[in-house]
Amino acid sequence: MIVFVSGGARSGKSLVAEQCVQQYADGKTCYYVATADIYDSEMAERVGHHQARRANHWVTLEAPLNIEQAVAQVPNGHAALLDCLTLWASQVMFNTQEDAAPVSETEAFALLVRALHDARRRGVTLVVVSNDLNEAPLPASAEVWRYVEFLQKLHRWLAAQADQVLEVVAGQSIEWKAAGAP
Amino acid sequence: MQLFIGGASAGKRDAVKQRFPSAVWWRLAPGQRLHEVAHVMLPNTPLVLHGLFEWLTAAQDSDFSSDEWRAQWREDLQRLNQTAAEDNVTLVIIANELGRGLVPIARDQRRLRDLNGWFTQDAAAHAEQVWYVRHGLLQALKG
Repeated sequence: MIVFVSGGARSGKSLVAEQCVQQYADGKTCYYVATADIYDSEMAERVGHHQARRANHWVTLEAPLNIEQAVAQVPNGHAALLDCLTLWASQVMFNTQEDAAPVSETEAFALLVRALHDARRRGVTLVVVSNDLNEAPLPASAEVWRYVEFLQKLHRWLAAQADQVLEVVAGQSIEWKAAGAP
Repeated sequence: MQLFIGGASAGKRDAVKQRFPSAVWWRLAPGQRLHEVAHVMLPNTPLVLHGLFEWLTAAQDSDFSSDEWRAQWREDLQRLNQTAAEDNVTLVIIANELGRGLVPIARDQRRLRDLNGWFTQDAAAHAEQVWYVRHGLLQALKG
């Protein structure tokens, strides 16, 4: 089961996604694939907000780049939250991981594809969270356009693959693709 | 007329290609009046108009006010729509959603965003069907 949840900044998408994971986890341990690379105090505070909300039955797996490896650590039949794709995509594109080898966009896309296939094969429910960034004028920077195009490629692929697609506005979900729909 | 609206790289073109595989595609030329597009119409063949972003960007270079622009394209849309109906042509317009972010600091960016929003509203008013494209998925907003 693959679920794709996206929305604007502070729309409540993480909370919706967490509830979704807990619902599918059905009392079992939930897994949190954290893509956030904590590089300053504002980021630490951000992460803190999310961590404080998740009770003890969540296990965190850090994955600033290799989401495939992180998803592989989720036991069969469990539910996991990947939060968030936007940050992961920016870490791929802008090569922020100083101690890691750079990952190309093609390699990164393959990591996502393999992580999803692995989750499906092992009965892992994977809920992927991302930000909607493409409905406003973009700065006239080739780098930003490339980033948005890359992120949208991931979003379109995910939306096509996912069993359920949710848009979150003010904490409310709009169902773009219903679970169980063909 | 059908309008497909969505953000950058939302999958609008693919959605249109899938639904209108035999359509003629026409990129709006800067400064071109909309009703002039009637020249490239083929009877009984859908016509897709794209390149709206660049067309509206170029519109800013003229002395027209936003209201004058709006009045002109409303009239042109009406004419074009009528010609399309006579030739049994389904007009398809691809438009960008640009309105869901911060107010741009640059004046021309603010104006572009306004023109784009007004154009989209006017085209949607004429359209029998309006589709919102988001991450490759579609939702019917009208029709």
